[in-house]
Amino acid sequence: MNPSIRRILDMSGEAILKVVRLNKSFGGLKATNDVDYEMTTGELSAIIGPNGAGKSTFFNLLTGYHKVDSGEVYYKGKDITNWPPHKIARLGIARAFQISNIYPALTTYENIRQAILTKQNRTLNFFTPAERLAKKETLELLEITGLSHHANMIVGNLSQGDKKRLELTIALGSKPQLVFLDEPTAGMSGEETRETMELVARLNKEMGLTILFTEHDMSVVFGYARRLTVLHQGTIFAEGTPEEVRANERAQKIYLGEEA
Amino acid sequence: MKKYWWLGLIFIGALILPLVVGKFWVHVAIEILILGLFAVSFNMIFGYMGQLSFGHAAYYGVGAYATGMLMVKASVPLPICLVASMIAAGICALIFGYFCVRLTGIYFAILTLAFGQLMYYIIFQWYSFTGGDDGLQGIIPPDLLFSANAYYYFTLCIVAAALIVMWYISRSPFGYTMRAIRGNADRTRFIGINVRKYMLINFVVAAMFAGLAGGLLGPFNRSIAPDLCNWHQSGVPVFMTVIGGPLGFFGPMIGSVIYTFLMAFVTGFTEYWPLVIGLVIIFVVLFMPGGVLGLAEERVKIFRFKHMAGRVDESIHTENP
Amino acid sequence: MDISLIFAQFLSGLSRGMMLFLIASGLSLIFGVMNILNFAHASLWLVGAYLCYTFWCLMQDYGFGMWVSIPLAALSLAAIGWVIEVVLIRRVYNRELPEQLLLTYGMILVISDLTKLIWGVEDKLITRPPLVAGPVFFFGMPFDSYFIFVILVGFAVAVGLWLFLKKTRYGHIVRAAVFSREMVSALGIPIPRIYTGVFVLGIFIAGLAGAVQAPIGSITLGMDMAVVIQAFCVVVIGGFGSLLGTFVGSIIVGEVYAFSILFWPQGALVLIFIVTAFILIVRPWGLFGTPMRA
Repeated sequence: MNPSIRRILDMSGEAILKVVRLNKSFGGLKATNDVDYEMTTGELSAIIGPNGAGKSTFFNLLTGYHKVDSGEVYYKGKDITNWPPHKIARLGIARAFQISNIYPALTTYENIRQAILTKQNRTLNFFTPAERLAKKETLELLEITGLSHHANMIVGNLSQGDKKRLELTIALGSKPQLVFLDEPTAGMSGEETRETMELVARLNKEMGLTILFTEHDMSVVFGYARRLTVLHQGTIFAEGTPEEVRANERAQKIYLGEEA
Repeated sequence: MKKYWWLGLIFIGALILPLVVGKFWVHVAIEILILGLFAVSFNMIFGYMGQLSFGHAAYYGVGAYATGMLMVKASVPLPICLVASMIAAGICALIFGYFCVRLTGIYFAILTLAFGQLMYYIIFQWYSFTGGDDGLQGIIPPDLLFSANAYYYFTLCIVAAALIVMWYISRSPFGYTMRAIRGNADRTRFIGINVRKYMLINFVVAAMFAGLAGGLLGPFNRSIAPDLCNWHQSGVPVFMTVIGGPLGFFGPMIGSVIYTFLMAFVTGFTEYWPLVIGLVIIFVVLFMPGGVLGLAEERVKIFRFKHMAGRVDESIHTENP
Repeated sequence: MDISLIFAQFLSGLSRGMMLFLIASGLSLIFGVMNILNFAHASLWLVGAYLCYTFWCLMQDYGFGMWVSIPLAALSLAAIGWVIEVVLIRRVYNRELPEQLLLTYGMILVISDLTKLIWGVEDKLITRPPLVAGPVFFFGMPFDSYFIFVILVGFAVAVGLWLFLKKTRYGHIVRAAVFSREMVSALGIPIPRIYTGVFVLGIFIAGLAGAVQAPIGSITLGMDMAVVIQAFCVVVIGGFGSLLGTFVGSIIVGEVYAFSILFWPQGALVLIFIVTAFILIVRPWGLFGTPMRA
């Protein structure tokens, strides 16, 4: 990464994530093309790009959902390339999906508790009634993300925005250090968006979570991300602070122009 | 636990049953219990994990043969045989299951079917060891349990204990992890669960309880045959669970009551009972998708939703862990 | 282990394979297009055999009785298949897997018992016309000439299906539907009618298979159960929805069966299951199937 960017963003910390020459094709389509990427602890950054640019694929490769064609992924210096998703999750990487990937038949409370119990390594417990466990932690998390009043609702009945919020909460349940958020505010009203992003910012600042998110809503991106990466057809097109990217004409044309 | 007061009633009813009905119905009751245990164990894979196993009878049959052969050929006491049945079934499930859990959906169903048939043919063909098509006769329960009533109470205790264990498992973090795997296997991976490993564990535990049911069957029937492993036998818990309702813990048990009564009733007046059972299956599938429990639950759900949507359950907010 | 024995076994395996192909091709087609695993397929096959017998009885006085009974039986079974599709199968297209499997499983029970009710429990025997009644000789070994007929019918149906799928418009639609239902319905082609047509076609072939089976040995109750699992294995090994796969799978199963008779007679089915399980583990969509369907 450009050392001057590092200085500007005061990223003197450790590289928590390092991606080296990542490649992935599906059939004839090159979804990820020689991508290099780095994140230091405590970043709050975003990846943007038009639909089909390869953002979700990028996350999929980093979280073990797809196998890479070539390249490496390092987490805190450890090579996690092609590790299965559950092992990656155990290391402290969590992910919120673009289309909310939750447990439709369980309640909000149960959804979150599942993540917490997993983190607490209690899932091989065969005999203690689950409702007695992890009460405090689950309630806490419900409070933090503002879903307390929906605790007992079957999540199939939640609004789109609340589902995305639950999505985020489940990701937090695993007590991660690195979180990938795939369009965290999709389907949310302006108010909900603001609340969610405030939460994200707080998690980043107060709990030191390193967060990488993708978004289509430019106000969110420019309002919260400290670093921006533009992805186009699987390649990194531009990178820098939001202002730099905004000033970059090519990026504008490619992405913002299409967005109109 | 307060919700299940009616269970206590049923249990009391079960306890006094032999005192009020004749031997025939006690036999029917034993069969209901054994098949019910078999079906509830099946539901661990189907209702809780979300996969359809069409070869669960393999473990039922293995359990039956383990107990049968130990009793007949080595005069091992029944309780030890039952434990052996569970272990034997568990080992088979570990071997077969290792492969089965790599698949889902229809492929899982077919592979379990294929393994079930494999087990059937192994027992069928291994004449020297298992007696093959002749089956195994002369499985006599110990003197203490020789009478129908005695065997009935014995079975009742064991099945009740097994059900309690499975109940606790379903309410445990493991049980919820199974529900999570059924609800969204991908998501479950991403929170850190090795889905395959958990599916295998569940598969083996379910098989062990099926083996227990099989073990109870031998001394009851006095004889067993390889048919206990084939896919028709595997279809029985599927039917029971579907008719009873897979989403409730007791659904398969209810299904067992219905199926066994139906069989006892129908075989009484016609030899064409497969026709009747087949028609019932078709009817249930077409017109009663949630099974008996499903119909009841629909009503409860509608009631609950109206009254609880958006409201917080007070009991969850107590600070006591 | 001389050449004539091997050749005899090879032919025996081939004819068994062709019979399995006739049964399994309908099964594979139906599953490939409609995603319905028709457990009752072999039971309908058996009905086809019984129908052939009934027609033959009616025409016993005429020498060509058997030859005419075969297509008649196939057509009648196809008609029955049409009724079944409209009344039962259609209702579970949008249902979950266990309900679909249970429905076809229930059908086995009903059809088997109805068969018993209508035709009784005694074995049924058809006397073959002299053309196919005696043996033919290969390398000095006698070989039942009827089996040659079976092999010919099998190949004919395989070629016929291939031509249908590759050369006719309807066949193209069917192939496309195996690949993607959404695509086909997006083209404005009514899926329900395709389903009905495919189901009827599959049952027609099963009826043909049953009728061709009828003069072999005798028709007995329970034949369907003996063969249904083998048909499943064929479809799994070859791949759902693939004609070539079903053909190759049938030959594999037929030959495995024929040759294991030589050195491990009881293990024939065990071997077939092991092969099937192996394929399911290593390549669940079969040798020639497409991994699209999960």
